[in-house]
Amino acid sequence: MDHHFGCTACGKCCHGWLPLSIKDALAHADRFPLFLFWMPARPGGKSYDLTARLGFELKLKNRKKVAVRVFPVSYVPTGMACPALAEDGLCQVHENKPQRCRTMPLSGSRAENDQVDLLRPKPGWDCDISAEAPLVYQDKKIVGREDFKAERQRLEADSNILKPFAQLMLDSVPSLRMDLQKVALRPKGGHIIVNFSTLIPRLADVDILDFAAKQQPVMQAFAQKTKGHADYSQDHKRYQACADAWQQVLES
Amino acid sequence: MTDCPCNSGLDYNDCCGPILAGTAKALTAEALMRSRYTAHVKGDFEHVAKTHAQKIQSTYNISAAKAQSKNTEWVGLEIRETVDGGPDDETGTVLFTARFIENGEQNLHRELGQFCRENGDWVYVDGKINPQGAPVRVDKVGRNDPCPCGSGKKYKKCCGG
Repeated sequence: MDHHFGCTACGKCCHGWLPLSIKDALAHADRFPLFLFWMPARPGGKSYDLTARLGFELKLKNRKKVAVRVFPVSYVPTGMACPALAEDGLCQVHENKPQRCRTMPLSGSRAENDQVDLLRPKPGWDCDISAEAPLVYQDKKIVGREDFKAERQRLEADSNILKPFAQLMLDSVPSLRMDLQKVALRPKGGHIIVNFSTLIPRLADVDILDFAAKQQPVMQAFAQKTKGHADYSQDHKRYQACADAWQQVLES
Repeated sequence: MTDCPCNSGLDYNDCCGPILAGTAKALTAEALMRSRYTAHVKGDFEHVAKTHAQKIQSTYNISAAKAQSKNTEWVGLEIRETVDGGPDDETGTVLFTARFIENGEQNLHRELGQFCRENGDWVYVDGKINPQGAPVRVDKVGRNDPCPCGSGKKYKKCCGG
C-alpha cells in the first residue's frame, strides 16, 4: 500500500503540544514553554516495545505492566499556535526548527510499521495526500528515512538521561508513581505533566540561571495569553507557577 | 575545635576537612560519603562533582546544585549501614539518611549509595533513593522441630504447646 504526503505549509499542525528532544528543548528555551510529559503507551500497541525500550516499564496494581516514556514538550494549550508560527503562517525558525517538526508527519517515537494513522490529515489540515505528492510510506516501510532516523537517534540518546532520571523521580516522589498508575488504567490513556526544572539537575551543561532567564519570560507570556479564558484556567495556573518559580531562581 | 558537620563526633580537621581540601584521600566509601555530605553543608559542589564516577559526570549539574542549596539547610547525617567499601575493597555501599530543611520544612533523604574505586580513589557511582529492605521471611516451625527459643525441647512441648 502506497502513502503519499506533501506539506502545503498550512501551519495547522503548528498548534498545541510539541514533543521535543532534550537538545531541541534546550536550544529553544527562550521560545517554548517547556514541561516534561510522562506518557504510558497503549498496551498491545505496535509501538509498545519501543516505548518500553526508550522509557521504562511500570508495575500496575492489577499485576500488569505498562511502558511509560518521559519526554520534553513545548506545552502550548490545545488549539493555540506555536510561538514560532509567524503571522504569515510560516515558521520563524524554519532553518533551526526542532527535529520533531522536520520528521512530521512521521514520528520517531513510533515503530516503523505504526505510522499509517499519522499520514491521514486531521480535520481542517491542508496536507496534500494525492498521488502527485511524494511517496513517503510503502508497505509499512518509510521511504525517505533521514529525518525519521535522526529523530529516533535523538530519542535513543535522550533515553540514557531520561531513564535514570525517571527512576530517581519515582523513588523520591511516591505520589508520581500512584498518579501514573491511575493514568495508565484509564481506557483513553493520558499523561502527567511535570515541571522541566526537575530535569535540570541531571543536565551537566545547562547553566540554571541562564535557563531561568530564558524560561521565565516565556512562562509569563503564556500565563498572560491564557489569563481569563475558562478553557485555559488550569494551564494559566501552571504557567504562572512556573514563571514565579523561575523568578525565584533568578532572585536568589 | 570544630565539630565535623557529618556528625562523626570528630574534629573537622581530623575528618572531612582534609578530604575537601584535597590534602587527604577518603580511605573508605563511608569516608567519601561523609565528605560529600559535608561538601553540601559547606557549599563545595566542586568536590561533589569530582567524586562522581566518570560515567555519571555528565549527569550532575553544579549550577543547579548551587541554586537549590540556597533554599536548603543540611542539618544532620546518619550512616545506617555499610557493606564492604573498606581500605582493601574495590566496591562498597553506604545506606544513609541526611536530614535537611527546605523552605522551612523538615525533610529526609534516604539513599543506598554505591561506591567504587577509580584510579585507586573512591567515587560515587549510583544511588537508590528510599531503598526497600529485603522482604521479611517467616519460616514456619514444624511441631516436632527444635523450638526456636533455644530450650532444646520440641516446639510442640515448648513455646508451640
